[in-house]
Amino acid sequence: MNIILLLIPVSLILLGIGVTAFFWAVEDAQFDDLDSPGLMPLAEESMPIVKSETPP
Amino acid sequence: MGSCFHCGESVPPDVRLSANVGGDMRPVCCIGCQAAVEWIAGLGLADYYRLREGPAVRATSESGYAEWDRPRLARMHVRILGADRSEAVLLVEGLRCAACAWLIERALTSAPGVHEVGVNAVMRRVRIVFDPQSIRLSDLMQALARLGYAPHPLCAAAIDSLRQRESRIAMKRLAVAGLGTMQAMMYAVALYAGVFDGIDSSVREFFRWMGMLVATPVVLYSASAFFAGAVREWRAHRLSMDTPIAIAIASIYMASAAATMRGSGEVYFDSVSMFVFFLLLGRYVEMRTRHRASDVVDALARLQPATAERRVGERYETVGVHELEIGDRVRVASGSTFPVDGTLVAARCLVDESVLTGESAPRSHLAGDAVIAGSIALDGPVEIVVLRLGADTLLAGIARMVTRAGSARPRLVTIADAAAARFVLRILAITALTAVAWLILDPVRAFASAVSVLVISCPCAFALAAPASLTRAVALLARNGVLVVDANALETLAHVDRFVFDKTGTLTEPRIDIAGISVSRGTPEEALGLAAALEQGSTHPLAQALRVAAVGVELPLASALGITAGGGVFGRIGERELRLGRTTFALGGVGLDDDVLVLADSLGEIARFPVNERLRQEVPATISTLQGEGADCELLSGDHPARVATVAAALGLRAWSARATPTDKLMRIQKLREDGHVVAMIGDGVNDAPVLAAADVAIAIGSGAALAHAASGILLAESGVAGILRARDIARQMLRILQRNLRWTYAYNIVAVPLAAFGLVPPWLAALGMSASSLLVVANSFAIGRVNATRHPIKPHPPVVAIAASGAA
Repeated sequence: MNIILLLIPVSLILLGIGVTAFFWAVEDAQFDDLDSPGLMPLAEESMPIVKSETPP
Repeated sequence: MGSCFHCGESVPPDVRLSANVGGDMRPVCCIGCQAAVEWIAGLGLADYYRLREGPAVRATSESGYAEWDRPRLARMHVRILGADRSEAVLLVEGLRCAACAWLIERALTSAPGVHEVGVNAVMRRVRIVFDPQSIRLSDLMQALARLGYAPHPLCAAAIDSLRQRESRIAMKRLAVAGLGTMQAMMYAVALYAGVFDGIDSSVREFFRWMGMLVATPVVLYSASAFFAGAVREWRAHRLSMDTPIAIAIASIYMASAAATMRGSGEVYFDSVSMFVFFLLLGRYVEMRTRHRASDVVDALARLQPATAERRVGERYETVGVHELEIGDRVRVASGSTFPVDGTLVAARCLVDESVLTGESAPRSHLAGDAVIAGSIALDGPVEIVVLRLGADTLLAGIARMVTRAGSARPRLVTIADAAAARFVLRILAITALTAVAWLILDPVRAFASAVSVLVISCPCAFALAAPASLTRAVALLARNGVLVVDANALETLAHVDRFVFDKTGTLTEPRIDIAGISVSRGTPEEALGLAAALEQGSTHPLAQALRVAAVGVELPLASALGITAGGGVFGRIGERELRLGRTTFALGGVGLDDDVLVLADSLGEIARFPVNERLRQEVPATISTLQGEGADCELLSGDHPARVATVAAALGLRAWSARATPTDKLMRIQKLREDGHVVAMIGDGVNDAPVLAAADVAIAIGSGAALAHAASGILLAESGVAGILRARDIARQMLRILQRNLRWTYAYNIVAVPLAAFGLVPPWLAALGMSASSLLVVANSFAIGRVNATRHPIKPHPPVVAIAASGAA
């Protein structure tokens, strides 16, 4: 049972790292536009392999 | 048909684009989709630039971008990042979806000297980092215009908008609350398991402290907005939803913290975290819809006229507003915004100062009067002498933004807020009653029951119902090219039983029949040039038609321009005093024929311009649908009776009146309202401003940035008249769903509050119930537009009806 005393603080540290990373990503404008990046694969110069990119 | 082959959005009626897919022509909603479809269909990936040639054929003759390169103007809009790096942000009209974003990115990145292109389809903004030595801002704007979009540079200062900060903070708070909730629930489950299976008291203590550790940032950071809101409400002596939320969060948290430190009693760290998380989630969703809806309208409205026409000797030159100096003479076209504060030079001018004073009736100014930047010249063109500019008129700009934001609190929301405030008072009373009653009966359960009442009854669902439905409706319409400026207009639109249409420019488009021009003196080209020069400053549809007809003809310089409402324009070219307009206006005497514009000088007639008119495509279907639904339609026109009758007959309208002066129109609308009708007036927004203001709902039709200044509550920007049907549908659905939401919230509270008061609901379940009810309200609001989405499919190609094709006089 003592392992919990170790694992829970470890999980909290990981949580802290996760939150810090998320804050950094938000400040880095990663979440300002959630629509356009979906189209970015199309901007490659190569031919698209799948044709299912055309929704009805 | 009717929806875009690529993205599935409905195609606005004025967009007639199609993409070639294996030989079939498919309708698409925008140039971006067109390009994407054709590209993906394998028609021209290798030669992608051939695709760009497609739209290039439609290239508009927009050429006025060179002004943006003037250093003093550019300084306002271009931010210098480094030696060869400058940044500009453009608001792009016509940028509709991610496919557009893709096309713009492809097109601009390929240009020499462009380092970086970031396209935000949601905000309709394009951020470009470029090398000013190798490419100019005007080239970039030209490239966008060639693709079919209309670019407007935004001030560099506007880039870091408040909105972006708001959205980022909301996201961070949501993340902290979400992650905190997960951890707190984990520890709570361990504690619950301990209750049944037994738990070592030291481990139990450990979990409780851990729960407190994760709940603290949730309460202190994520929920800080609620505490701030509650403080604001207390200062303003106004009760709303933040107060009970803040009380609930604070009391649950502090009681749990005290229990943790004492080592006895219940802890509710999971409940409080979850409570905060769901509340923030609801608010985040609401904020996103709000941003989406208001973005384009706001941005367009904030666009001050960036260029002005300065008089130099006998000529006018276009310069940046920031280049103007005090004492300059500036010409302002009819329907345009005054770029600076100034003194009027022209004899008189009607000015709409509603942006500053809120007074919708235009004021008449005489020569020498002061006019304020941001107000609109209704019957120009007029000249002003610059009095104040720059920072001084910035005050006007700020005042305008504040009035827009502050006064724009919709009636529905105000009513809902008042109801929520009363509700909060009652709930606080019931909470106190519950606590007192339980203290007498069973003190152990007092706290839990009181907290449950407070939490379960939160008026969020109540206060959310109106804004959620409203924002959803507005956002949905914005996507359909219908911009709702005044949210009250949408509510009123649902009740409208009488639609009054202006004819010219609204139902019909005038065309000058070039081949039919008959000249008494000179050549047709000369006459066209004179006429177009006279119409330079006018925004009347006929003036636009004349200018279109005169493209390519060299225009002489006209001075002393003026407009007689319902008559025509006059002015001086060279030594000649010219008049252009109806026969009666231009030649005097009794009018014989109104299907022509007559150009005359003191010697008599110079030329006649026959006017053709055709109904706009979507008009017949729209009118017949409206009448089919029981709404009366009426035609109110200043035009010749014969022509109005033709149009009315073609549309099956019984009620129409012709030769109506603006005063007649005003009287008619007032009469209808006195008879108990709820009246919507549909016009072009600038020439009909007073008439529009008199109606219950004003709907303006047109396109582009000029619409932003139109005096109306609803703008049909890209959708044409057919947008009325969609707006009416959505408005009705909105009211229906709002009522459903309110009924639901009442029912829920009537059932849930007594249960909580009798101590039958533990706080965690109360938090769940409350959050679920809020989310249900939001989800319900999202049903707007999904119901009967296809009730008014916009027919892509209704028959074109040509009317009143008159010959020469």
